[in-house]
Amino acid sequence: MSITTIGGDLIGTIPLGDIVLYLNPLHLFLFVTIIVFTILIAVSRTETQVEAMFGSLDENKVSVGLKEFKHRRFLAIICGIATAGAMITGDLFNFTLFMALIGIVNIGIVSAVKQIDVLDSAYQYGLIAMMCGLPLFGGAAIILASTGTLSLFKLAMMPTVAPMTIFGALMMLVGIAGESGIAPFFASKAEMFRTPGSPFILIIHLSSLFIIVRAVEILLIIIHVI
Amino acid sequence: MYLMADILINVILAFLAGSLLLGLHRKIMARIQLRPGPPIIQYLLHSLKFFFKESSFPKTASMPFYIGIVVILAGIWVTGVIVGPVTQGSLMIIFGIYAIHKIVEHNSGSSSGSPYGKVSCVRAVFSAAGELPLFACIAILFLITGSMNISDIIAYQAVHGPLIYTAPLAAIMFFTLILTKSPYSPFAITKGKDIISGFETEHYGFLRGFIMLSESVAWYILLWLFLTIFFGPIGIIGYVIGMIVITAITAFINATTPMLNPNHSVMAQFTITLVCLVGSIVMLLIL
Repeated sequence: MSITTIGGDLIGTIPLGDIVLYLNPLHLFLFVTIIVFTILIAVSRTETQVEAMFGSLDENKVSVGLKEFKHRRFLAIICGIATAGAMITGDLFNFTLFMALIGIVNIGIVSAVKQIDVLDSAYQYGLIAMMCGLPLFGGAAIILASTGTLSLFKLAMMPTVAPMTIFGALMMLVGIAGESGIAPFFASKAEMFRTPGSPFILIIHLSSLFIIVRAVEILLIIIHVI
Repeated sequence: MYLMADILINVILAFLAGSLLLGLHRKIMARIQLRPGPPIIQYLLHSLKFFFKESSFPKTASMPFYIGIVVILAGIWVTGVIVGPVTQGSLMIIFGIYAIHKIVEHNSGSSSGSPYGKVSCVRAVFSAAGELPLFACIAILFLITGSMNISDIIAYQAVHGPLIYTAPLAAIMFFTLILTKSPYSPFAITKGKDIISGFETEHYGFLRGFIMLSESVAWYILLWLFLTIFFGPIGIIGYVIGMIVITAITAFINATTPMLNPNHSVMAQFTITLVCLVGSIVMLLIL
């Protein structure tokens, strides 16, 4: 079965009707790592950016205020939990929902910043994320229509794969790429990281990369019988 | 009990072999540039030395994240040893480990408050394009062998011969990844000398020791993976020769190639991936 050949031997399953949650070494590794990062983010204070001022010997320190700190920490923790959920879900629709939530909180984490370049970047990323919501959910809907299930466990056992399912998987890939702001969409997102506020901005990048790793596994599960 | 001993021995072996290979890399680069260069053992001595040097922490750093991030880096590459040489598990976990390595580059840069680290952090977002060759490579391997498990891929090669003949373009993509991770690489935009040492600039003492230890283990694991998934079961002598040859090739490329700017680096990796991916798919369809 492709689930074991992709992510390693099954550690356990939780059958909830049609949806079967399953855990293998890949999911366990990703889940534990994201939880460790989220806890570290929750207990850390933010950096203070220090830059030399032009034309004098002074330095400019940019730090994060308490109100903004609380706001961003809350959203970073939500993002961490959503990413952890996306790592262990066995349902394609849940995965797309977690993906959409991650996209929203990523924008929220930098929305309170008072830097025009950063806000511009967040705005452009938001536009792309909104537009990519259509192929993301549309792709999942096409997969449901062509296979009759959104359970990854059942999709992995499909003996054949229809062309429409492959089309749906490719649509989902476009949606995930846009929502998570990876290549070729990262140009709109990279400027967001210039803002002070490590470690909260870390979760933006971390969630994107982890989502991609999981998305690769899901897409390979869907197209495994090619 | 045996598993714990196996893990410990492999981690120590990965650290020692990786350190010596990186020392060799530096030596070859120096000789190509007509310099005597440091002794091969210098990288190993540096790594050990940093664990005993005085450590200091910037007042502007994001604590305790600033410390935790390098411990995580060491932790993930120990996991790499467990998934690779010890248990021969899934390549997807290696893909995940590599993704976390990118995260560490990203946040050890931004957590210090240093502008050099911050620029390195932004570049780390761009350099995530280095994920593309790895993803494309393992996807091609999955389509050929039907499995992501390293043990299955080794078994496949024992029957069908080395994958380097079946999927040479996938091997080029993996080699691109190795080149990206090698010191002074044309793609190493996160550690460009225009930003001092990038994300490593503000990490001193035992924190730098952890980073150097992790880089040694990472180098060993990447070479081990390349040799294992493209040449199959080749024995200890095969691994030693293979690792030295790949290290020498990357040293030659790095010594004679300037560092690319971030845009060129990303586009070069993207183009190599696209050409090799399309070529691999065409080869699969024809053969």
